[in-house]
This record gives sequence, structure tokens and C-alpha cells, in this order.
Amino acid sequence: MNQAKVKVAKAKTKKVLNVLITYCILIVVAFIFFFPCLWLILASFSKSGSIYSFDGFFPVEYGFDSFKTLFTDTVMYNYPQWFLNTLFIASMSCILGTILTILTAYCMSRFRFKSRKAMMKTTLVLGMFPSFMGTIAVYLIMTQFNLINQHWGLILIYSAQAPMGYMVQKGFFDTIPYSIDEAARIDGASNFTVFVKFTLPMAKPMLVYTALTAFTWPWSDFILPKMLLVDRDLYTVAVGLMSLGETEFARFAAGSIFIAIPIIVLYFCLVKYMINGMAAGAVKE
Amino acid sequence: MKKTLPALIAHIAVILAVIIVMGTLGLIAAGVASEGSEKFTDEIERNVTLRILENDTAKEQGYLKELLDAFNAEYAEYGIKAVDANMDQFTDLETGGPYGYGPDVLYQANDAIMKYVDGTRKHILPLPVEQLDCYEHIGKNAWDAYKVTIENQDFICGVPVNIQQPLLFYRKDLLPANWETEWDDDKNGVPDMIEYWTDLYRYSQTIRAQSASNYGYMKSLNDGYFASGYFLSYGGYVFGGEERNDTSDVGFSKNDGYLGAKIIRQLASVMNLECTEDTITKNSYSRMAQGAYFATMTTPDVYTMFIKEMVNAGFTEEYARENLIMTDVPKLPVSGDLEDESQGFKDMTVMGGINGYAISSYTKAPNAALAFVNFATSYKMINRRAELLGISPARGDSAEALGGLNANINNNLTAGTIYVMPSVRALGQVWTPLQTYCAILADDSLTGKNVYVTDEALKKGLENVDNQIYAAIHTLG
Repeated sequence: MNQAKVKVAKAKTKKVLNVLITYCILIVVAFIFFFPCLWLILASFSKSGSIYSFDGFFPVEYGFDSFKTLFTDTVMYNYPQWFLNTLFIASMSCILGTILTILTAYCMSRFRFKSRKAMMKTTLVLGMFPSFMGTIAVYLIMTQFNLINQHWGLILIYSAQAPMGYMVQKGFFDTIPYSIDEAARIDGASNFTVFVKFTLPMAKPMLVYTALTAFTWPWSDFILPKMLLVDRDLYTVAVGLMSLGETEFARFAAGSIFIAIPIIVLYFCLVKYMINGMAAGAVKE
Repeated sequence: MKKTLPALIAHIAVILAVIIVMGTLGLIAAGVASEGSEKFTDEIERNVTLRILENDTAKEQGYLKELLDAFNAEYAEYGIKAVDANMDQFTDLETGGPYGYGPDVLYQANDAIMKYVDGTRKHILPLPVEQLDCYEHIGKNAWDAYKVTIENQDFICGVPVNIQQPLLFYRKDLLPANWETEWDDDKNGVPDMIEYWTDLYRYSQTIRAQSASNYGYMKSLNDGYFASGYFLSYGGYVFGGEERNDTSDVGFSKNDGYLGAKIIRQLASVMNLECTEDTITKNSYSRMAQGAYFATMTTPDVYTMFIKEMVNAGFTEEYARENLIMTDVPKLPVSGDLEDESQGFKDMTVMGGINGYAISSYTKAPNAALAFVNFATSYKMINRRAELLGISPARGDSAEALGGLNANINNNLTAGTIYVMPSVRALGQVWTPLQTYCAILADDSLTGKNVYVTDEALKKGLENVDNQIYAAIHTLG
């Protein structure tokens, strides 16, 4: 009896210890990841605007001066314009990219046609190459189409590249029983009606997931806009922040924090759909 | 077998098409190059828009707007409109220019501008500079920074505006109260620590001994542009040849160049490890404002940034302008030892540059662009530029009229104590090996590794730098 109690106690202690150690590790890891963010947030509220006036790691005085400067002092660094540019590019790329990705995935999932397998394999292999690999070629092509220094040039590239990652969406469509399509067709529905009226409503989580990923990429991308945008007023936030002068640290911090806000809000609003979407595409039932 | 012949023909057709397209493009490019000087016909194009690329300070301080407004008013009858190109100040004309996305007129440093005409590249136009009002007033040394020789004929591809020279920036209010009795041996009314590197070094040691957080002279010693002056002062050079552009002869280690390395080691000892990287360059504005640094070395175009930081630190602008002083760099000891004044002193040779205007080969209005350059380099506009931006004009008459440091800098260029950055693309290969060596020297001194203590070790290290630069130019370039 005593032995059993000791065993239980030991097991309990072991469990508590396990939990304790796990939490300790998690807290340390979380702190390591969170500290730079915390530092950046606090630095953005630095009143002096210079990291070299900090007392140790953190600013001595706090204020909203950096944020005020960010939105009012626009002669050299037009942050509000950059923000709107980024929003426009990301939103349009998100809409077009989502449509193209969903259509591609649906097509690959539902239709059987010649070279389908070959196309799937090709896109899979092509998708493995980093997108910046073809930057010079992209630049030259864009010059021929007169799309340098234009937001639509970027939108076109982001939207065109988005369907390369259609595999998750295809996996999701594969899980929707084909019998639903057949039943609809028997009732006289066309392919388009089946897609719009039956499949899409069921694919809402996947739509959200696709839209979110299609939005976040152009939102934070640096390489393409840096290469294609020449005019300062057309810059995106990422490129604009990189062009700040070397003493403009507080403005940089404030700009970095502010750019994260819309995406954080979006994530919080849509995270439940997103998790559903990711999980749904992962397993074929 | 059946497929082989059509495939072969298809391949040949593709290759021929590529050759024809490339050849056509090549001919077009060659045509552009040859017609460069013929583009200036004295007939100013009407109803055109000129995109002007200026530097950020000019934009920030409102000079660019003034310049554009004045020019547009002057040339209103031609319908010419000069506008801010609104691009990054370091925009590479070579990247977007050929495709029509570059500026028409650009203001950059001589090494940046002249790389556009290096070798077979012809991205900027040779200019009929004799026609410009400023021609007679700018010295030969400044024009030479924009000279290119093609088939034994000299062309000038830029118009000098501003002479860039490293200067010593110091806080007058941080001078010791007794400097007139203790720090002015020659009784000339100038503090010795501003006049001689030996005294600046000694004063830095004194400050360090008094406070752990305060410093005397502080500078990122790994910055090749500023550090090269120590080597150049003792006979070292970047490239050999009369025109200083013979890239087969790299010469930082030549003559007594190694003495510069010795100076860098000694200076590091009164700084901290931040001098081995860029931190001091970035924090000197606020640290000087806080009084943590007594002096630093930088170029005059950033003067307003120091003032801004001092105002942020709580000083009035008037106080800041009165106490933040820019002056010529101190004299170096002939001995090459900051603790030995026995052999006397010599002027320090510094690496400098000439910023100026150039006209893009891709402009559709070269004559209007030339009119703009003429207007922007006029006596009135250069004086205004100097007044607003604190630049040192390349125009001799402006420098003389403004007096003080401006006249000194202009004289330094004539006297040769400003070593103008060679206007060759290969210069880009110089900085990394030089920076690495300077950082190693500073680290060696501060961490007590003491690898580079003897003259032989310093010489050998510098010879390695020369070899690395040579290899980089002739294998990568």
C-alpha cells in the first residue's frame, strides 16, 4: 500500500517536474523571441529618438514623438504614402493571387486532363526554387512591358507567382467528396456553378488561409519592390524604411511597429479559420 | 533521325535570331556612345521635364526646392520644368538609365559618376564645359576628377560643385578651461589638440584617465575613406601612374605608408572596441551632443546632423552652432609616432572627393539639362548652396567670397593635401581589404594581441592589403 503511494507520489513529482522544466524552457525561449520585439516597441516610444541615449537597454524617457514624426514629417520620408502603397499592392495581390490559386487548385483537384501530372510535378519543382533567383530576368521582362516603377508590375508578379503554392488548396479540395459535384451536375449545374455554389462555400477556411498568405508576402517583401520601384513616393514600407538615414532609428522602430498592426489585427480576426484551413489541407480523408 | 534535321534548323534559327537582336542592340549602344558630344547643339529643347537627382541634404534643407523654383522661373519661356527625380540619392544610373528610369541630371561624387564612363560604359555625356559660366572659376584638380581619356582625347563628364574633405569636428565647450596656458605651446591662440594629432592623442588619454565613459577623439577606424589619409600622408597611394589610375600598381604600403598603420594602432588605444566597426560613425552625432566624445572626423555635409542632435540634447541652436566647430584635420608627426614630436609635423593628406553634376546619356533634352547644370553651378546658386548646406564650393570665386574653411579646403585641393578619390570603377575593390586591415590593427591594439607591433609586421600587413586589392581588381573586376 505504502509502495503504491510512494509510486503515485513519485509519478506526481515527476509530472510536476516535467511540467516545471517544460514551462521554464518555454518561458526562456519565449523571452528570447519576445525580447527583440519588446525592445523595438519600447525603442519606438523613445522620446529622444536615438538609441544611443538609452539607459542600458531601454529608453530613459517615453513619448509619441517618433510616431508623430512618422506621419507628419513627410518631406524626405513619406511613411503614410508608403503605407498606402503597401496596402494597395498587398490587397490587390491578395485578391488576384487568391483567385488564381484557388482556381488552379480546384482545376488540379477536380479535372483530369492531359499533362496534368506533368504540370503538377513541374510546378512542384519550380516552387522549390527561391523567388529571388529570377530577379534579373524579371527586371528585364518588366522593362519590356514598361512595368518598372509601377505598382501593377509588382501586383502582376505576386499574383502570377501565388498559384505555384496551390498544393495545400488542392489537398483541401481533394477532401471534398466528388459525389457532391456529381449530384449537382445531375441536377443540371455547370462546372462553374458547382465551383461557386457548392465547393467555394465549403472551402471558406481555405479561402481565408490562401488570402492571408497571399496578403502577407507582398506586405513584407523587400527584394521585388526594391528592384522595381524607383520613385520614392512609390516605395513600399519595407523599402522606405531601409532608405531612412542612419540617425533615424526611432522613426525606423516606429515604422516597423506600425506596419505590423494591420497584419496582427488580420491574424487575430481570422486565425480560427486559418488553423482550420491549414489542418484541412494537410490530411486527405 | 527524322527529328534531328528540323531540330538542328530550329536551333540555328534561334541562335541567329539571338545574334541579330544582340548585334542590333550593340550597334544602337555604340551609336549612343559616339553621338555623345554631338548632342549639345545650343538649341534648348522646349516643353520638356527634367528629372533632377540631388542629395538628401539638399532636399531636406530646402535647397533643391529653391533651385528648381529659380530655374523653372528663369526658363519659363522655354516651357522647361525641372522636377525632383525623387529617387534614392545613390541611385545607380547604370541600372535604370538604359531603360528610361534614371534621372536626366544627377548630383553624385566623382567616383560614382565616373564609373558610368569606365571602360565601354557610356551612361553619362561628355560635356562642353567651356561653355559653362563656372568653367574659369574651377581649378584644374577639380576638373581632372571628371576627366576621361578616350583614344587620346580628353573629355570632361561632370561639373564640380562641392569639395568633400574630412574635417575635424570638436566641441569647443569641452576644451579644458586652462587650454590657453596648458594646451597652446606655440601661443597662436589655437588649442594644440586641434592643431596636432600628438596633442589630440595626449588629450584623449587625459580624458580617458578622468572618466570611464568619456572619450577624446573617436572615429570608426575601420572606415577606409577616412583611415586611408594616414597611409597617404606617409607616401602611400591608392593607384600609381601620373593620373593615379594605374590599377596594376596598388601602393598603400609604398614609401612609409606603414607609419599610417602605426598611427591607427595608437589612436585605437584611446578608444574602445566600437572603433573596429561602424558604431562610432553612427553614434557620433548623439555622443558628441551628449559630450561623451570631444572630437571626431567626418565630412562637412553632415554638420547639420550634429546640430540637430545637440538641439535634441537640450542646447539652443545658437549655442550648438557656436560650440560645434569644424576645422582642418590636425598635423601629423613626421616620425609617424603619436608620442614623438622630435622630428616636427607635416600636413595630413586626406582622401577627398568632388561632388558634382553629370548629364545622363539617356536624357531626351541634353541642351535643357546643360542649361540646368549651368544655372545650378552659377555663382549665385553655389553661394546659396554653401550657405544652406555648409558645403565647400569647388568654384574658387565662391570659396574666396565665403572665406574661412571654404577657402582653406579649396587651397588644400590645389596644394594636393586632398587626395581626390581615383575616378575608376576599380576603386570599389579598395575598401574591403583596407577596412579589414584597419579593423584588425585597432583590435590588435585594444585587445593586447600585439601582432602588429614591429614595423616589419605593419609593412607586411599593408603589403597584403595591396595584394588583396590587386587580386580583387584583376580577378573580380
